[in-house]
Parts: sequence; C-alpha cells; structure tokens
Amino acid sequence: MGKQKKEAVGTVGRKMTDTVMECRNLWKNYGKITAVKDVSLKIKEGEIKLIFGPSGSGKSTLIRCLAMLTTPTKGDVFLREECLTRPDVDLNKARARIGFVFQHIWLFRHLTALGNVELGLRRVLKLPKKEARKRAMQALREVKMEEWAHHYPAQLSGGQQQRVGIARALVRNPDIILLDEPTSALDPELIGEVIDTLRDLAKKGTTMLIVSHEMPFAREVANEMIFFDKGTIVETGPPELFFTNPRSERAKKFMARLIKRTKRE
Amino acid sequence: MEFLIKYLPQFLDGFVLTVEFTVFGALIGLALGILLAIGDLYGGRIISTIIRFYVEFFRGSPIIIQLFIFYFTIPNMLATIIDPFMVGLLVFSLNSAAYQKGYIKGAMEAVYEDQMTAGLSIGLSKVQTIVYVILPQALRLVIPAWGNEFSSLTKSTAALLVIGVKDVTAVGKSIAGLSFRYLEVYAFVAIIYLIWISVMMKITDIVYEKVKIPGIEISA
Repeated sequence: MGKQKKEAVGTVGRKMTDTVMECRNLWKNYGKITAVKDVSLKIKEGEIKLIFGPSGSGKSTLIRCLAMLTTPTKGDVFLREECLTRPDVDLNKARARIGFVFQHIWLFRHLTALGNVELGLRRVLKLPKKEARKRAMQALREVKMEEWAHHYPAQLSGGQQQRVGIARALVRNPDIILLDEPTSALDPELIGEVIDTLRDLAKKGTTMLIVSHEMPFAREVANEMIFFDKGTIVETGPPELFFTNPRSERAKKFMARLIKRTKRE
Repeated sequence: MEFLIKYLPQFLDGFVLTVEFTVFGALIGLALGILLAIGDLYGGRIISTIIRFYVEFFRGSPIIIQLFIFYFTIPNMLATIIDPFMVGLLVFSLNSAAYQKGYIKGAMEAVYEDQMTAGLSIGLSKVQTIVYVILPQALRLVIPAWGNEFSSLTKSTAALLVIGVKDVTAVGKSIAGLSFRYLEVYAFVAIIYLIWISVMMKITDIVYEKVKIPGIEISA
C-alpha cells in the first residue's frame, strides 16, 4: 500500500515532515449557532490524529469541513499546498484525493461491495474496467471483504459494511483518510473487526484523522489526541498525557468518564 | 361474433395506435420526467416554479382539453396546421411527464441526502452522483408506479378521437354506428383495453423483479 500510494499520486520525495492536511482559523456557523470555532490543526505524512470529545461538540462538522463536504464559514483548509477554500478550486478533484468514512457508513445501496469500491476508480480516476476491478478487489482484500465482493450492502452486517466503506475510502490511494466515528453506529460485537482493519491501515503508515472514542485503540495507534469541546480544541497531546494526567479540567472529567465506561465493558 | 372478425383489421389498426401512444408516451414522458425532477430539485426557485405550473396544468386539466388546446388553439395562433398524430403524441408525452416527474422526484428525495454526500466524498461531481448513484436507485423505486401510468395512458387514448386520431374506441364507435350492435362492439373494445393494460402491468412487474436489488425495495 505504501509503495503503491506514492506512485499513484505521483509525488516524489515525500518526507514525514510534509504536511498533508491543515486548517487555519476554521469557523462554521449554522445561523446563529457556531459549530466550529476558530480551529487550526495540522496532519503530517503518516501521522494518525484522533479527535474526541462530547457528542454535539462539533467534531463531525469539523471533519466534514476538512473534507469540504460542508463549506466552512471562515478560515482555510489546505490539502498539501493547495488551498481548498479558495473559490476557484475544483472541489471534486480535491475530494478525490481525500478518503472519507462515515459514521452511518452510507454505502451506495444499489451497488455490490465491489461496485461501491470500483465506482470512484471508474468514474473519478477513469481507470479501464479491468484495472479498476483489480484494484477494487485488492482494496477489498485489505479489509478482508474479498469473499463478500458480490454482496449488496443490505446483505452485509454493519461491521462488514463499514469495512467496505473503508475500502471505498482507501482504494483511490488518497492523501489522507478522514474517519467520522467509524464504529459508533455499530453493535458492540462488530466494533472489533473494524478496529482491526483500522489497525492494519495504521501499520501501513496511512495518514489518518479519526473521530473516535475507542480509547484502547487510540492509545495504541494515535500520534496525537485532540480533545474537542464546544466547537474548539481544548487540549492536544500524546495519548499518554490524556491517560495519565490531562491538563485541562474538562479533558480530565471526560477521560475519567470514558475510562470508567471502557472498564465496565 | 363473426361480424367482429370481419372488422378485426380495423380493430387491429386502432389497437396498434393505442399501443404506440402508451409506449411512446410513457417513454418520452419518462425521459422528460427525469429532467423535470432534476430541474425541480436542483434548478433553483425560478425553474422550479415554472415546472410546478407545467405540472399543475397537465395534472389539473382533462386530457381532452389539453388535446383541444394543442390541436386547435396553438396552431390557430401560429396559423399553421399540425399533424394530429404528432400533436397527440406530444400531449401524451407532456402529460405523462407531469405525472412521472412527481414519482421520480419523490423517489430521488427518498435516496437523496446521504447518497449525495457519499458520492461527493469519493470525488464524484454532483451531476455524476445523480447519474450513477441517485437515479439508479430512484428509478428502481419508481417502476411500480409505471403500472398505473401505463393504465391511465392506455385509457386516455380513447380521448384521441376528438382530434381525429382513431384508436380502438374511435374504431369501435364507427363500427357500432354501421352495425348497430353497440353491446358487442363496446364490450369487445373494453376487453381489448383490459388485456393490454393487464399485459403492461405484468411487464412492469417482471421488470421490477428483474432489476430489483436487495435493500432497494418498496416496503409493503
């Protein structure tokens, strides 16, 4: 995957210090309600950052703004050097370089698992049929869904659907994959398989920004955790910081609750 | 019964006409209906208002009046004569489009929001998402409504006699007038309609089953 990625995007000499995605002073208002308030963050090549925080705090809105699925009210989003918030940007082209995994999965219901993964290759990257099929199957293999390639979403379990969702996001070899609570709509017994898939991606050095509350997973793979509350970043740091001694009072309280819940489970 | 057989060729001519008007009317109506649905959903306020007026006119007035308007009034205004067959086909297509637009728009709205976001997220444009994601789902949901559409178009072909296009009803009328055997003739005409409508309903069912995908079904 790592090798393929470089050749597909055609960028030479990427370093771990290269910034893949960045937002500067990002705001999103819905009428009088401010969902995202002056957020700046940066994700470098191969980095995994994890956003967590209370529900309704604007995490989903933020991650959607980064993918330009929602237009920010103010501020800039950069994908590598390109500013996506400029009016003359071809957003379809930009989105083709970003993988997105939805909380509610949102597979294309009329297409098989293979069809879901293939569509972007055929219609966005315009690959010939044979090559698209090969790459789509390869992506399904990576998420261990090869056997289910010809099943429709309605014939798959939630966990299987989400793995197809991940394959659909990674098949175009995007610069970054954004995941919006990829496991929170799943039944508890199905979360494990999706987490395993994400762990595989992490091992391959995939650049990811994940909104999630899966704390053991976060501790294992995240380079940095971002505590988000009331539309803004409250505290950032390595996972160990949050597990041992978060600085802010809010993060402390939230972590205590999360850890208690995890122990119960 | 033998006398009906004598007139069978005329009945057949009328029947072919009925078939032509239902099939072409429904197909052209489908194509226009898709465009109208897209226009209404994405075209902005002005286009959407124009489309609503159009739909209200065709759904809110008898098809006979629509035929009169298109056959007599408009050519009068333009000082030309238009072929009645073409006028009939035009009115049938426009009329069917008005109804089908409603079905299609409803189905598109049912699949719209999450599927549009998902389409954009993989780099498809809005138009591509409509073509490759929204319509394939919406049209499957709409197929059962085609049964009604075919049956209503079929019955409407009787109205064509007002502009001199002779479908089975018009044929029956002249044969009944010649033979004075009203009961047999009109019963026969009714049976022809009935058979044709049943065939179209059956075909609709077969098509629906054929293209059905698990998860995209009309819940009973």
